[in-house]
Amino acid sequence: MEDMEDTGDVQLDAQETPEITEVEQIELQLLMEGIYRLQGFDFKNYSLPFLRRRIQHRMNAEKLPTISALQEKVLHDPLMMERLLNDFSVNVTEMFRDPSFFQAFRQRVVPILRDYPYIRIWHAGCSTGEEVYSMAILLHEEGLYHKARLYATDMSERSLKRAESGQFPLQRMQLYTKNYLQAGGTKAFSEYYSAIHETVEFHPFLRENLVFAQHNLVTDRSFNEFHVIVCRNVMIYFDKSLQNRVHRLFYDSLSSGGILALGSREGLALTTLASRYEEVDGLEKLFRKIK
Amino acid sequence: MKIKTRLYAGFGGLLALLILMLLLVLKMLSDLNGSMNDIVKDRYVKLKEVTSIRFEISNINRELYSMVLESGKPDAVENTVKQIRAARAREEQALEQLEKTAAIEEAQRYVAVLRAQSVEFDQDQNRLIDMVRAGQTDDASALLQGQVQTERIAMFDTVDKLRSVQEQRMDTALQDATRAYTLASRWTVFLIVFSLLVGGFVAVGVVRGTTRSLRQVTSVITAVTEGSKENLPRIAVKTNDEVGDISRAFNAMAEALEEHARHEREFQQAITEQNWLKTKLSEIQTIYQGVQDLETLARMFMSKLAPLVGATYGVFYLKDGVRDQQRLVKLASFADQPDADLDIGANGFRIGEGLVGQCAAENTVLELRDIPDDYIRIASGLGSSKPSSLLVMPIEFEGQVRAVIELASFEPFTDLHHTFLRQVVDNVGTTINSIAYHMQVERLLKESQAMTEELQSQSEELQLQQEELKTINEKLEEQYHNSTLKTQELQRTKEDLEDKARQLVLSSKYKSEFLANMSHELRTPLNSLLILAQMLAENGEGNLTPKQVDFANTIHASGHDLLNLINDVLDLSKVESGKMDVHLEEVLLDEVRSYAERQFAPLARQKGLNFHVQVHASAPGAVYTDGVRLQQIVKNLLSNAMKFTDQGTVQLDIRLEEKRTFTEGSPLAESPSVLAVSVTDTGVGIPKSKQEVIFEAFRQADGTTSRKYGGTGLGLSISREIAHLLGGILEVVSVEGRGSTFTLFLPTEYQAPESGAAETLYESSEAEEVAVTLAPHGEVPDLTESLTAEGPLEGKKVLLVDDDMRNIFALTTALEAQQMRVVFAENGREGVEMLREHPDVDLVLMDIMMPEMDGYEAMRLIRQMQGGEDIPIIALTAKAMKNDRAKCIEAGASDYISKPLNLEQLFSLMRVWLYR
Repeated sequence: MEDMEDTGDVQLDAQETPEITEVEQIELQLLMEGIYRLQGFDFKNYSLPFLRRRIQHRMNAEKLPTISALQEKVLHDPLMMERLLNDFSVNVTEMFRDPSFFQAFRQRVVPILRDYPYIRIWHAGCSTGEEVYSMAILLHEEGLYHKARLYATDMSERSLKRAESGQFPLQRMQLYTKNYLQAGGTKAFSEYYSAIHETVEFHPFLRENLVFAQHNLVTDRSFNEFHVIVCRNVMIYFDKSLQNRVHRLFYDSLSSGGILALGSREGLALTTLASRYEEVDGLEKLFRKIK
Repeated sequence: MKIKTRLYAGFGGLLALLILMLLLVLKMLSDLNGSMNDIVKDRYVKLKEVTSIRFEISNINRELYSMVLESGKPDAVENTVKQIRAARAREEQALEQLEKTAAIEEAQRYVAVLRAQSVEFDQDQNRLIDMVRAGQTDDASALLQGQVQTERIAMFDTVDKLRSVQEQRMDTALQDATRAYTLASRWTVFLIVFSLLVGGFVAVGVVRGTTRSLRQVTSVITAVTEGSKENLPRIAVKTNDEVGDISRAFNAMAEALEEHARHEREFQQAITEQNWLKTKLSEIQTIYQGVQDLETLARMFMSKLAPLVGATYGVFYLKDGVRDQQRLVKLASFADQPDADLDIGANGFRIGEGLVGQCAAENTVLELRDIPDDYIRIASGLGSSKPSSLLVMPIEFEGQVRAVIELASFEPFTDLHHTFLRQVVDNVGTTINSIAYHMQVERLLKESQAMTEELQSQSEELQLQQEELKTINEKLEEQYHNSTLKTQELQRTKEDLEDKARQLVLSSKYKSEFLANMSHELRTPLNSLLILAQMLAENGEGNLTPKQVDFANTIHASGHDLLNLINDVLDLSKVESGKMDVHLEEVLLDEVRSYAERQFAPLARQKGLNFHVQVHASAPGAVYTDGVRLQQIVKNLLSNAMKFTDQGTVQLDIRLEEKRTFTEGSPLAESPSVLAVSVTDTGVGIPKSKQEVIFEAFRQADGTTSRKYGGTGLGLSISREIAHLLGGILEVVSVEGRGSTFTLFLPTEYQAPESGAAETLYESSEAEEVAVTLAPHGEVPDLTESLTAEGPLEGKKVLLVDDDMRNIFALTTALEAQQMRVVFAENGREGVEMLREHPDVDLVLMDIMMPEMDGYEAMRLIRQMQGGEDIPIIALTAKAMKNDRAKCIEAGASDYISKPLNLEQLFSLMRVWLYR
């Protein structure tokens, strides 16, 4: 789905990456520093294996021998910079991704939210917005949408733009319908969209209480207090120290008794703030701030 | 003397004294009583006798006077005499009594005097009585006044004397008694006083003697309550009496008490020590809680432990490393001096090195007393000194030394300290182990979490790359597609040319095809007509008159006939144009028989015909052919037979034909055996000349037949064509007016001909049927257009399964407006069959509540069907039933939509599900 300039050479970099050499490490740090100084995007605390894979991927695609060579291109060619940045932004998402999560949210979190007169939800790292719309549908079906406001943020403007449009490709709708059904949808999924040609447009009423904004978890601060923060499969790209930093940010942004929702492979147990939350659903990674 | 003896003696003496006194008093009382009796009985009786004598004398005297006075009257005299004599007797009696009892001499003397006087008085009396009797009254009077009076006075005098003697005697006795009484009183008083004195002495003596020794015992016992329980006073045993016994018993008891108190004190001490041990142990244990790393544990442990055992210095070494590299590393210390000079406790040892190392190597406690001056000094702000004791202890877990602690103290370590340290060390060993384990687990957990996240991120990246790949693929596909389009165009031009040639050859086939298409085209509006007519006839809104309903029914019936006709035409044209498919399968002849019986027995009964179905023993159980077509032929033959027979019998025979030989090369000749199915009737029959004509389409034996019997006349033509299709032949033997026999010969094992030239031609023409449907103006269809048709709906074939005709009608209209093709079925079973017949259906719209077979069942069957696993099925559910949705999905629906349908939503939904 990404830009098609690199048609020629896309291959799965599935092969084991060898041990990182000192030179490579220096190159990598220099590149990150360069990107940060030039663009303000701070990837220095991203998970090292992840950065290496993405950079390797770009190097393969551009047929470049070293990170330094890539650095030269990235610093001088804005297009290359954009490509690399896009490589770093992994926009893998689905509507009702991990349906069991949404089911758990419906069963465990919605009863809590019912008592609030007003609900603020932050989707941090919302990517192209599929999960935000999913949440909007869920809240709508639970009769909470009218009093909810969903803040969807991502560091990528491009992703945000797509999210804002409320249009998604037709091709994945069959999967989304299955997800919707498994997530315990109470209506017919088809009630929420119109299919036109190759895209599906969600009904505008779902967009009414959505706020899209650019926000970088690495550099930006808290901007409101929320009852729910959803940040699924975002921190997997961060290293431990950055994860702790982001967790602190979330902790500060949550109201007391607020809910933190993480990705299925993520956890709170080994972070510094583990004792500040209680499990609402351990399997679906739903936590509640307790102190 | 024992108290018992003393008490017995004292009280015994008192009792004896009392008895003695009592006896004395009794004696005196009895004496007193005796003298009183004397006085009363003796003296008083005598006095009474004396008085009685005096009274009688007076009495006699008085009688004597009266006698003298009454001397003239003898009777009175005699009476008086009697009186006198009685008085004299009484006097005599008293006198005798006196004589007997007189004890005193003076009294006896006076009694004797009185006796003499009495005798004299008596004589005078007698004389006087005689004188009176003799009447000598005067003499008598004289005597009486003289001598008798004198005697009487003398007697009186004697009596008075006797009386005074007696009275004197009584006074004396009384005086004696008074004297005796006084004496007795005095004695009594004396005795009482004496007894009281003696009793008092005895009592005082006894009480004094007893209480003195008891008081002694009491004072000692009282002294017990105060003062030490281990040093009780003893009672000196002076006597051998009961108190002595008590004293001995008390002494024994005191000894036992002292023993018990000693035990108790020892026990108390032990308990205090145990308590201290336990309290301190648990205090130490509480510090373990919540500790997550060994360093904190060691530090807290040392700072807690050292003061407890009075140690002034302590170091904690932890065993670290593996095998040969094992070392004891200082982890924490108590009262450590960071100053280099005074830094106590080396920073590490190898196993076996120094005391600490040795302790670890041997797993034993080492204790040092008398430490050399320069060994170690313990410093405070004011000075420093050497400790007196040094203790090195291993901390083990399951026999493995995990750590070593070293403690130094100014005081030697006590046994209690040792015990305490041993237990503490035991505990901390376990804790160290569990913390080390916990740290290990935490480290592993962190690693695994990091790995999980890494995996997730990799999987997402992979997904991303997959997406990219897909996009590239699509691009490539598009390019490929474009190039194929070009090729296709070329191909098409070529095909066009070939078509033209073929069309020429197949012009007659085209006719049939046109017929087939036309029938199809006819059927579609006719269906609508039928539906609407039925709707009208149902008169749902009740606004039609019965007549109008009748009309509607007529329209429906006629329409139905027309539909049958068209179906026949369609079948025929299908056969002729070679479009009829043959589905070869194992067909049970029993099923054919039961089908015939089921279908035609009622009709035969209705017409009053005999109807027999016979499957001969020679017939095989099953044949390999197309069951549906075979049934169709049997149906046609039987309905013809029934139609043209007014009376008699219609018979169906199924047997194996063994006699006949068939044309070389025909499937019948090649088949190992041939099945013969014949229908015989006793109907009108067919003249010889017409026997061939009847098999031709649109012809009946007689032009008027159709008018008489109805029907299209196509049944036999179709049957014969089908028979051909199945590799068999259909023959007739008939005698006009007698009846006919139609026989179908079929190969029992039919092999469909290999797809030859003709087949290919059929197929291509079939493809064109689609084109014709799409482009009804008969233009040459543009293949590229149908391939790249905009949107996913156009040209797609939808199977609509719904029992409500109105729905079918409305939906069909709507879907066809979207250039979709619609086939429909009225219940689940039909739907499944329809899908089987139309494998090109792209999407199924399935109603749930239907007769015969509901939507769930149908969906389940479709999912089990070959080719039905992936076809999108949209369930049409009634809104009211929420549960339905889950059931739909479970039964295999891809999605659902609620009725009444929102067409826009339906189309969106179909676009999603028709996306390929």
